[in-house]
Amino acid sequence: MTSTSTFAPSGGSRLLRSGFIMPAILVAIVAVLVVAPLVRILLSTLTPAGIEAWQAVLVSPLSFNLWWRPLFNTMVLGFGVASGCLILGGFLAWLVVLTDVPGRRLLGLMATLPYMIPSFAAALAWGTLFRNSRLGGSAGFFETNGLAIPDWLAWGLVPTAIVLIAHYYSLAYTIIAAALSSVGADLVEAGQMAGARRPRIFFGIILPVVTPALIAAASLTFAGAVANFAAPALLGLPVRMQTLSTRLFGMIETGQNERGFVLALLLITVSALFLWMSDRIVSGRKAFITVTGKGGRTKRFPLGVWRWPLFAIAVAIGLLATVTPVLVLAASSLAPQSGALFSNWTLHFWIGEGGGEIAQGQAGIFRNPVLIDAIWNTIRLGLVVALTTMLLGLALAYTIVQRRGSLLATILSQLAFVPLLVPSIAFAAAYIALFGAPIGPLPSLYGTFALLVIAASAHNLPFAVQSGRSVLGQISADIEESARLTGAGPLRRLFAIIFPLAIRGLFAGAMLVFVKMVRDLSLVVLLFTATSPVLSMVAYRYAAEGFMQFANAITLVILIVCLAASFLAHSLQNRVQKWKES
Amino acid sequence: MNALATGAADAIEIRNLVKRFGAFTAVKDVNISVPAGSFLVLVGPSGCGKSTLLRMLAGLEGPSEGEIAFVGQTVSSGAGGVIADAGRRNAGLVFQSYALWPHMTVAGNIAWPLKVARWPRERRDRRVKEVLALLGIGALAERYPAEISGGQQQRVAIARTIAPEPSILLFDEPLSNLDAKLRIEMRSELMRIHRATGATSVYVTHDQVEAMTMATHVAVLNNGRVEQFGKPIDLLRNPATTFVATFLGTPPANLLPAQRVGEMFAFGDTPLVSGSIAPGHAEVQLLYRAEDVCVGAVADKPSVTARFAEAAPIAGRTMVTAMLGELRITGMAEGYFSAMPGDPVTLSFIRTPDAVFAVSGERITQ
Repeated sequence: MTSTSTFAPSGGSRLLRSGFIMPAILVAIVAVLVVAPLVRILLSTLTPAGIEAWQAVLVSPLSFNLWWRPLFNTMVLGFGVASGCLILGGFLAWLVVLTDVPGRRLLGLMATLPYMIPSFAAALAWGTLFRNSRLGGSAGFFETNGLAIPDWLAWGLVPTAIVLIAHYYSLAYTIIAAALSSVGADLVEAGQMAGARRPRIFFGIILPVVTPALIAAASLTFAGAVANFAAPALLGLPVRMQTLSTRLFGMIETGQNERGFVLALLLITVSALFLWMSDRIVSGRKAFITVTGKGGRTKRFPLGVWRWPLFAIAVAIGLLATVTPVLVLAASSLAPQSGALFSNWTLHFWIGEGGGEIAQGQAGIFRNPVLIDAIWNTIRLGLVVALTTMLLGLALAYTIVQRRGSLLATILSQLAFVPLLVPSIAFAAAYIALFGAPIGPLPSLYGTFALLVIAASAHNLPFAVQSGRSVLGQISADIEESARLTGAGPLRRLFAIIFPLAIRGLFAGAMLVFVKMVRDLSLVVLLFTATSPVLSMVAYRYAAEGFMQFANAITLVILIVCLAASFLAHSLQNRVQKWKES
Repeated sequence: MNALATGAADAIEIRNLVKRFGAFTAVKDVNISVPAGSFLVLVGPSGCGKSTLLRMLAGLEGPSEGEIAFVGQTVSSGAGGVIADAGRRNAGLVFQSYALWPHMTVAGNIAWPLKVARWPRERRDRRVKEVLALLGIGALAERYPAEISGGQQQRVAIARTIAPEPSILLFDEPLSNLDAKLRIEMRSELMRIHRATGATSVYVTHDQVEAMTMATHVAVLNNGRVEQFGKPIDLLRNPATTFVATFLGTPPANLLPAQRVGEMFAFGDTPLVSGSIAPGHAEVQLLYRAEDVCVGAVADKPSVTARFAEAAPIAGRTMVTAMLGELRITGMAEGYFSAMPGDPVTLSFIRTPDAVFAVSGERITQ
């Protein structure tokens, strides 16, 4: 080596060398978090008991009830919800992005709200309104007030699909709206110059350009509906409508773990198959992103006399999906009879003492020691998982970006995205398979808070890596290098340059993870035990036992926690990066 | 208007055109007309209204006042808005961003406007092949826009625009996204296409070199107004305003403020030229071209001493720029010349000023 070698072991390469340890640790972590549970659940079904479970599920007199019927219901739900979301989300996105409808900001905001509300909130609200007397117990608001509700509208596939559409259409909206706003005005004007009229421009240019986004939206809402547990459990289980996720829950709940594991593997296959197929369609040469483009400017079509009617329809959709469920839950948590939502209001369900006439002597939720525990547990879970997720995400993203093109980076990024393909309830089942029994000297983690944290962090990995990447993407290499040229050391750079620039993105990501955890049911429903209750689980228990007002009240608490977290994160964000506008 | 008019209407006639966006007036009382087959360049700094003018010609915006007529037919007016739709003016527009439809192949992009215009399939296919060959991109026919380079995308955009054989071609800063070498190449390519199609062209740019090299007619726009309209050489020789005088030409011409001192106009303490060139004016601006300013002292010629700023060799001579206070003065030196920034440099004015302007910017002499 020549004289240059004296300069070679500078800060950069020293970091690189010590950097071998970090990737190794990360690979190990990801392997334990993602690979081990999935391998383990697969192996569990290859034991003699497991083989028997495969046979029972797929080829036996039981298989119609265990597999085919739930599969059919799951598929119907998946396709129904995906189409409903495309129609609603697509309509709203078109209205907000491509037309001169009034109040576009308001409509855009309303269209993103439903995703903040847990899907069981809408399911509970639906039950409060539409429940009929088929199952005994008190009927819902409509039936009590003289409006007979047919079974198909009170229970089963239809209400489940409606509730899930109301929850997931905002996801479709977000994806489609982003795609539509990338269709530059120039593309449309080039069509106008060619003499094409509006329908021709819409079907010939705009629609094909956003087709990849439509497919992505359809597959993601499909996967969401297929994996959802809360809605089919609350609206379907009472009439024995089973989906794969409720079946899988039922098996493990009743101790038939192998059958549960088999169903989990099948559910993963179904969900992953559709996501993979949509990815196939979208990728390749047809994966067009709009070429160049002045950006920003989009062509808005005048709606003429339809401006206000369409505005009203959009507002109505938003109100029905967001405001109504919240109001119904609030009223129901105060009304002793769900038939009379707006009379005899009492705070009994919140703070009443037990032993009275109301609610079979059950005390109000704030008198219930389990609930106080659950609030604390929920917030703790949200915070801890947000922290672990963002730290892991940042570390993974950094390693992947730094070693772009290497085998290690490829493996890490591929593995980190595996949980995206796995419905959360199946993921929870895999964790039971791995940690349900002691491993060597390690005790069984089943039912512990630690297991919840580990499983949740693992399940959030795809999101973590993605947001870690976007956070790092905001810090260009030049920015760090220019700091390096001033002679600032790595730690100084980390705290003076990288941290201030990354903090906003980290906050935003952490807030989303927190909200996701607080309102999650399908992951915790299997991993929860009485020793580590969380709010969503307590609400589900109340609902399953028929104490709807309590369930509704707790759901409101969850909503309040989520909203408070969003506001807090928002105001903090504005405080830490003053140079950016909110 | 013109006594020699044969009766044939101009290909493009713009009369008293005004465009307002709210309180802001983007285009102010513009009058331009050019005969068929011209290459009209609208040139000016950014925000001068040239793109708005082009979009009105295309029919993508309606004027607030005034009229646009193509071959005697009014296509837009302040009273009627866009009378003939963008697609019904027999005009094509090449966008700055190219605006290629990303979901169609190169051939698909070119064929689509022909499909919309209901060309029969056979004729369509023939025409697509023809323009692909004209632009030299036949090999790219089945590629998607995302799979070809910027320069190739540019060619596709042009091919797509000329395919329906429009009688008017509009270009919105088409070369601004290309690198310097490609830009020069495409310049001659565009002129070749202009000759091949014979279409009347309107070309918007902020690059005065493009204007001078391509145009048969140039309109210099500033603040929404046409500062001057004419043939490029005429504009260069006889600029009507100081804006035109300093905006056009390479290297840029010098503009010296001068006061009447006795019988002479003087720049500071240096008498430059006889006061008879602008009778009745106490203050004027004198236009000296770079070739009329010589580096070094010349006997019997007025001179000033400035601080050296930079030197650029051009065709065996050197273009020298020096600062006199806040004023930049550019002159020529024979052979190569160099100095340290801040060094004193003598600049001599070896000819009388090329033009004299009032303080307001209007031309005084012919």
